[in-house]
Amino acid sequence: MTARLATELDAADREAVVALGSLPPLTPRRLAMMLAHHPPAELFERLRDGRPLARGAVHRMRSVTPEQLATQARRIDPPRLAARCHELGVRVVVPGDADYPEPVALDAARSPVLFLRGDPSLVGMRRVGVVGTRNATAAGRETATELGEGLAREAVAVVSGLARGIDGAAHRGVRAVGGPAIAVVGSGIDVPYPRQHRELWEWAGTNGLLVSQWGPGVEPEPWRFPLRNTIIALLSEVLVVVESRERGGSLITANEALDREICVMVVPGSPRSPAAKGVLDLMQNEVVKPATSVTDVLIALGFERARQIGQAAPGFGHRRPHAPPHDAHTIEAQVFAMCADRPCTLDDLVAGLGQPISVVALAAARLEIEGWLVDTAGWFEVARSKLAAP
Amino acid sequence: MLASIRSATILGARGHPVEVEVHVAKGLPTFSMLGLPDESCREARDRVRAAIVSSGVPWPDKKIIVNLAPPTHRKTGSGLDLAIAVGLLVAFEQIPADAVSGLCFLGELGLDGTVRRVPGIAPMVGVRPDDDWVVPHDGLAEARVVGRGLIRPVAKLDRLIEALTGASSWPEYDGASAAAPVAPDPEVHDLADVKGQPTARLALEVAAAGGHHLLFVGPPGSGKTMLAKRLPGLLPDLTPDIALETTMIHSAAGVPLPATGLVMRPPFRAPHHSSSPPSLVGGGSHSLKPGEISLAHGGVLFLDELGQFPGRAVDGLREALEEGRIMVGRAEAERVPLPARFQLVAATNPCPCGGGGEPGACECDERARQRYIGKISGPILDRFDLRVVVRRPPVDDLFDAAPAESSVEVGARVAMARRRAIERAGVLNAQLDEAVIAEHARLTVAAEEALRLEVERGRLTARGMHRIRRVARTLADLAGGGDLIDVDHVATALGMRSRVGHSGVRQAA
Repeated sequence: MTARLATELDAADREAVVALGSLPPLTPRRLAMMLAHHPPAELFERLRDGRPLARGAVHRMRSVTPEQLATQARRIDPPRLAARCHELGVRVVVPGDADYPEPVALDAARSPVLFLRGDPSLVGMRRVGVVGTRNATAAGRETATELGEGLAREAVAVVSGLARGIDGAAHRGVRAVGGPAIAVVGSGIDVPYPRQHRELWEWAGTNGLLVSQWGPGVEPEPWRFPLRNTIIALLSEVLVVVESRERGGSLITANEALDREICVMVVPGSPRSPAAKGVLDLMQNEVVKPATSVTDVLIALGFERARQIGQAAPGFGHRRPHAPPHDAHTIEAQVFAMCADRPCTLDDLVAGLGQPISVVALAAARLEIEGWLVDTAGWFEVARSKLAAP
Repeated sequence: MLASIRSATILGARGHPVEVEVHVAKGLPTFSMLGLPDESCREARDRVRAAIVSSGVPWPDKKIIVNLAPPTHRKTGSGLDLAIAVGLLVAFEQIPADAVSGLCFLGELGLDGTVRRVPGIAPMVGVRPDDDWVVPHDGLAEARVVGRGLIRPVAKLDRLIEALTGASSWPEYDGASAAAPVAPDPEVHDLADVKGQPTARLALEVAAAGGHHLLFVGPPGSGKTMLAKRLPGLLPDLTPDIALETTMIHSAAGVPLPATGLVMRPPFRAPHHSSSPPSLVGGGSHSLKPGEISLAHGGVLFLDELGQFPGRAVDGLREALEEGRIMVGRAEAERVPLPARFQLVAATNPCPCGGGGEPGACECDERARQRYIGKISGPILDRFDLRVVVRRPPVDDLFDAAPAESSVEVGARVAMARRRAIERAGVLNAQLDEAVIAEHARLTVAAEEALRLEVERGRLTARGMHRIRRVARTLADLAGGGDLIDVDHVATALGMRSRVGHSGVRQAA
């Protein structure tokens, strides 16, 4: 089943596609089913007027009623919406359009309409997805930033979801070196979410490529994000999961990628750290490879034939010296080593080192002042990548 | 015939003198009460009548008026029963008027003439402490705490009539043997029961020694309540003044008092966050009962799940923390101060899921945590000199045979440190005024350097710095070293003031 070919669409159909893509309750899959039976302009009118659709179009539709769709559709003014897209510089593409990303177009889960802001040619570059948990450790965020930076330096586009935590950190790394970024978002193309990433969102829309399955004004809702994750997987040649707990959105992305035989890599973490549980579970799958440096990812992309990658390839944490902060026998070194394993409270450190609190607190405070540790609400964690190469 | 009997009612934690005036005259047989009696007080008519008849005195067919002076404030409760009955008996000419002069009466009557105890005997007797009081026999110990005159306990109205008419002598009751509800000896919560958790233990010790407010941040099951319960055991006995104030409040609220009648040990109150605001803050009825915040006066108020407490209660808490008392009352005219000077110990989960709060270990991201902690008002959060992260103790610690230090040992250090602080500045370290901190909490060069660095990096406000300095002062006092605060004390103080809430998480890198 397929929607009409892009060439068959006239101006009215184009306008209707924008409107259909901005109907909040409609999943891309349902929209595709509907478009298989009705041309866009007719479909939108039918929805708006509450006229019945072909049986195949509403087959097993339970999450939303035709009345709800009609109410939503009546709120939408297609010409104004199209004007809004134009004003935002948003291109609305359907499968078959030249700018519709090819990796997505070739997949069964493709979206019948995509909203693009920025430079669609970025999809022609080498692409690596970097995803992970929203609640990341400081080390995890640092790793993601280094990945973003390192990949961007090699002119690899970094695909991610603009979420808090790992996603945001990866794109911040890309932004730091002015590299190419593809951001796939789970809300309407003009609805920055999370709000603290508004700036990053704007940057991706201007200097990179911002992709959404939903049109202007569509609010972020939990069910949109797994669908967004599929697009991230499709747009990635290699997908790197930096940190994930036992269950999490990034595992959905990884599984979607594995289903499509897209190379999945993970940044291994300590088995004692809950933040690494998900990635270590992924590693049980033998096709999943570890990524301990940017080079590992580049090699997986096939760069080793194109370039000489020396043995001196830096691991994560290369941006700062990785010598232990103090001599191994000092209390500072011991505190640092414990926190490198997993975040520790003062209690953990006191219990683990058998030293008085004042001694441990002093050591931790020194390490923090020197920038080795950060204190996150009473938990000391390593401020830089714990994956520092020896 | 006219009679006037002295008694008292209770408003907040204070007694108010009441004059019970009885007028009996010819006319239609009625019995009316004036002077703003509330519902429970108006019921005295029927109780008193039944008790008098049960005691073998006939009820005259006369017009009876009882006036409770002053009529400006509302009288509540049944404590005036006995005074009304005695007034009636005098007016009925069953008791000679001069037998009751100089006597005050307090107590509730049963229908058979039993004299029962009412809440607030101590503060009510405190209204006229030098007078002679007739009180319910089971309130004897309580009355003796404040009363300096003769305290006459009675159990039955007929015995009282006999004593007042001279038919027999005053009944004797032994205060201790009377059937007063006595508070069980406070359970001994020993610090030795706490396994592991060295930081939390130290925080308790510091809190006890310096009077610092303490916040535990940790998941359910990490022993926050258990730890908090051990704080009173580290505190010294109440000073006589505070003991009396606390006794008054407990008496007014009807909380069982210790056998001696005087609350000597710091109370521990742990109200649940679903309690009604009046029960937490006080007020609610015309007697303006003290709430939990006041019941903790002189002791420890423990608030588990601080963020879940209703806004009104938190407002009261702020007022209490700032003023050491809280004003309750319905109308502005009858607002009454209730003492509430306590040490606040609170606990909160680090995040909504109840996980450990370890970064990266649960579903809750920074925003979710901030929202959760954000329910605790910033000014309250700022009051905690000590904010300690606790976690479930490791299994090894639970089964560790090595006995930890007991409350007695720690308490000795605490007493010593408190003595030092009082000798130095006259107040506990937590109450050190900012103006005199420089003088009383002098730092070594290294300590000053460490503190300066924290401020320069924008991680400490000026006020935060003073708080660290006070805690460091207490740590130095506990260590028993010299007069100077060293850098390890400052580091420990910093380590025990985790940045939770708005300032807790640094901007994501």
